[in-house]
Amino acid sequence: MALVALLAGLGLLAAAAPLLGRLLGRQVGWVLATGFAVAAAGVAVLAPGVLAGTPVEVSRAWLPSLGVEAALRLDGTSLVFVMVALVVGALVLAYCASYLDDEEARGPVPALLVVFAASMCLLVLADDLALLYVGWELTTLCSFVLLSTAGADAAAPARRALLVTVTGGLALLAAVVLLVAATGTSRISTITADPALVLGSPLAPWVAVLLVVAAATKSAQMPLHFWLPGAMVAMTPVSAYLHAATMVKAGIYLLVRVSPVYGGQPAWTAALLVLGLTTAVLGALLALREHDLKGVLAYSTVSQLGLLVAAIGVGTPTALAAALLHTAAHALFKATLFMLVGIVDHETGGRDVRDLAGLRHVMPRTALATAVAALSMAGVPPLLGFVSKEYLFQGFLSVDLAPWVGPVAALTAVAASALTFAYALRIVHGAFGGGEPSHPDLHEPPTAFLAPAALAALVGLVAGPAVSLADPVVAAATADALPGADAPEVYFWHGLSPELGLSALTIALGSLLFWRRDGVDRVLQSWSPPSVGRLFDRGHDGLLHTAGVLGRPDAAGAEAGHLVRVLVAVLALAVPAAVVLGPLPERTAGSQPAEWAVVGLLLVVVLVAACTRSALVLVCALGLIGLLVAGWFLLQGALDVAITLLLVEVLTAVAVVLALRGGDDRLPRAQRRRALPTGALAVGVALVAGAGTWAMTGRGDLSPVGERVLSGAEAATGGTNAVNVVLVDVRGLDTFLETVVVGVVALGLVMLGRGPAGRRRGPAGPEPASEDVVLRVGARVLVPLMLVISVWLLWRGHDQPGGGFIAALVLGSAVALGHLAGGQAPFARTPRWMAPSVLAGAGLCLALGTGLYPLLVGGTLLEPTDVPVLGALGLGYAVLFDVGVYLLVLSLAVAAVHSLDAGAATALPPSRGRPRTGGDEEPAPVRPATTVPEEVS
Amino acid sequence: MTTAFVVALLAGTGSYLVLHRGSVRVIVGFVLLGHAAVVLLVASAGGDRRGVPLLDQVADVPLGDPVPQAFALTAVVIAFAVTLLLLGVLRAQGAAADDDAEDAEVEEQAGADAGRVGGHGDSGEVGRDG
Repeated sequence: MALVALLAGLGLLAAAAPLLGRLLGRQVGWVLATGFAVAAAGVAVLAPGVLAGTPVEVSRAWLPSLGVEAALRLDGTSLVFVMVALVVGALVLAYCASYLDDEEARGPVPALLVVFAASMCLLVLADDLALLYVGWELTTLCSFVLLSTAGADAAAPARRALLVTVTGGLALLAAVVLLVAATGTSRISTITADPALVLGSPLAPWVAVLLVVAAATKSAQMPLHFWLPGAMVAMTPVSAYLHAATMVKAGIYLLVRVSPVYGGQPAWTAALLVLGLTTAVLGALLALREHDLKGVLAYSTVSQLGLLVAAIGVGTPTALAAALLHTAAHALFKATLFMLVGIVDHETGGRDVRDLAGLRHVMPRTALATAVAALSMAGVPPLLGFVSKEYLFQGFLSVDLAPWVGPVAALTAVAASALTFAYALRIVHGAFGGGEPSHPDLHEPPTAFLAPAALAALVGLVAGPAVSLADPVVAAATADALPGADAPEVYFWHGLSPELGLSALTIALGSLLFWRRDGVDRVLQSWSPPSVGRLFDRGHDGLLHTAGVLGRPDAAGAEAGHLVRVLVAVLALAVPAAVVLGPLPERTAGSQPAEWAVVGLLLVVVLVAACTRSALVLVCALGLIGLLVAGWFLLQGALDVAITLLLVEVLTAVAVVLALRGGDDRLPRAQRRRALPTGALAVGVALVAGAGTWAMTGRGDLSPVGERVLSGAEAATGGTNAVNVVLVDVRGLDTFLETVVVGVVALGLVMLGRGPAGRRRGPAGPEPASEDVVLRVGARVLVPLMLVISVWLLWRGHDQPGGGFIAALVLGSAVALGHLAGGQAPFARTPRWMAPSVLAGAGLCLALGTGLYPLLVGGTLLEPTDVPVLGALGLGYAVLFDVGVYLLVLSLAVAAVHSLDAGAATALPPSRGRPRTGGDEEPAPVRPATTVPEEVS
Repeated sequence: MTTAFVVALLAGTGSYLVLHRGSVRVIVGFVLLGHAAVVLLVASAGGDRRGVPLLDQVADVPLGDPVPQAFALTAVVIAFAVTLLLLGVLRAQGAAADDDAEDAEVEEQAGADAGRVGGHGDSGEVGRDG
């Protein structure tokens, strides 16, 4: 439960952060840091139990059909990573309180940092692969959004980081799926408790490859490292947190987590050793080549992560203990160094070592803190970095592969560490060493600014000699990462051991590199490493270009170009379909004479529609076709569909006329050269559609679902209108989602009806009263009547023809009628409560609330349930849901009437206000708008 | 059998109209294609069952399958929504002020066409497909 509280608390903190930021300005950093400190203290309270060997566990059913549980587990390994995330998080947020200005503090960065921490905690606490994956992707998204906050310069690096890490996320997802397929469980603790479960499966090597790819993207291993140096465009607190405690440590955590399964497997060890040590040496070389302080630190992270990956690959208890200890040490010195470089950058406005010098004279305390952290990174005794590096060397020497591997690995690590020593000294010497200060008028930053970094540096200093205090933690973490293994005891002084010799060699070589730094720099500058990042960008651009070429036909301006290909595809599909189609069952449906009459009339009307050049005739033909199709539905016994279609046709006609009023009645002339091919294509589509319909309909019998509804609907739901029962009770979720689409279109129409600046462009007030007496009087009489009918149809819809869709369309027609009549007619002006957004919102809330209500009383989503008070009034569950549908559909009708109204002809550009009679030389006066409705009414 | 004819007529005319100039034709064409799909949906109910599926009434013909009818009903409403959206786009296009340049171009072209055929006065076939 404590773990849920931890994650929930961080979630709440993140939710409160924007508000606090607005209230407190940049001081919000202190509040959030306190929150982190409290969370860390809470975890520390749990620690004794965890260290004694009883992990804290909590789980809740999540996706029972897949056997996936929302399971959290705090064991020794998780404890290390959670504490690193929370403690470094607290320091970084405290640093934010000085680093950010008030404007930035009101922005999204503080909240995102908290979400970042929460995601990382979720990731390392998850005991289910699905949950681990969720946490993994959340950290990816958080880092992308945090990078993007750095402005336009960050767009390209943020995109790189996202693409690389998302690719790794996909690899992890594939690994998770394969792991579940291989083991039959998604519980991490079950999988790690029994390595044979995975290793016995033929999928094991693939899982291992995918896991390594995932970890390599996240933890920036060569050649996928390039996103991490690019990510230094982010503001300093973000970089500090991303490099030290979250994001890149996720890959390390993943590898540690699966060590019980794969640790000690020769291929695993060999792969991770090569990957990690290559990254360590190359990363360190690249870091030494950098002049930008932040760049040095970024490549340094790549290099240090390489050492960690290699140590995890070794897989012996010593090596894993060393990796865990070095994770903590790295978090401390890297966070410190980023924060201090941020201070230098903040104060001097630059961070190129060639522009900086002698800052120790003006910022002595900053210089001291930097020196302590840098020496820890360099592995100089007695700092924590020295101790963890000793253990890393010891771990490499313990590799259990071939006799020569241990010394070679250790010497490679020495090379990387010597380079680390050199660039660590370069940071200190470059910025703070030398004679005359480059910025003599600077002064020490405020204590509050320096304190978080100085504190982390101090911990790194004290924790070295006092490292045996951390022994229980390291022991428990190692035992959890490698069950059954005895972790080495961690202490400061090893005696005169081989690793002490390696440390001495490291320092000697590093000093040499530093001493001959000018020569080294010349050599390194003349070396131009191949830029994987540029290669990646080229590939990315190439991909986009290819996509552009492929999509060019669809980017054409004319609609016909797109549609031709779709219609040709219909014809092309028909050929294989005709071949595949076997012998057809007997036809069961016959035809009535009335149906032939509909077909004959339809033929005449569609020919008129195809040939006419008048928009009005076309709209009339459209209405007639709708009428005929509705009649055809009636003949088929589909009464509800027929009524719906009739009402839709009425509203469509009104909407078309409203949208076109004042415009030109003449349709563009059909191009003669296009007439033949399009005609042939249309005939082809008609033949295919007709043949397909003939072949595939009217041959079966009542569907099983239909039979169940017809036989059982009344007993189960109390409704007798089977169509409405299907809509509301049987497939309520579908209906709900469809009405959501309707509501979205309604809101879209409202937006379209506004000008670019959000200005309402439609008619401002009610229409002037129509001159048509019939329309005016008719509206007065009909509109109230239609209102009543609409409510009646809604109420009885569950039993009789009617229901939410039909009732809403009736009222929508009433609104349209009132709008056209104008003047004093009802609905000439839409009341405020009938604004489309209000209706859509109310309908959505009602339908959703009705759907969710059964969940509260222990049912399932949208399950028909008795509603306490309303049920007694005769308003059943189905009617309530239908009211939601009603409101959503009504919002569409209202939006259509009000947003599509093109208003008076004067609202259009003069060129559109053309006379309708051809051959008129004089431009006719603009016709008053009120005459247009007359033509339709 | 009649279903096949109805679907063929609607689909054929719909495809013909969407391939021609003028946004009104395109919109009407889409409506007809929608009709064709809905007719097909209703027809997908098997058997010769023409009774309105109301359970409390004594029918002398077998009741129709309510499931495809319910699909068709929502399909009609969704198609209506799509039509309105198309009209909304057309309307927004028509009112866009920066349309004028393109208008002039089309008009010029139309004027040239009219000139070729012999200049009857209706050079106004600009259409609303800006």
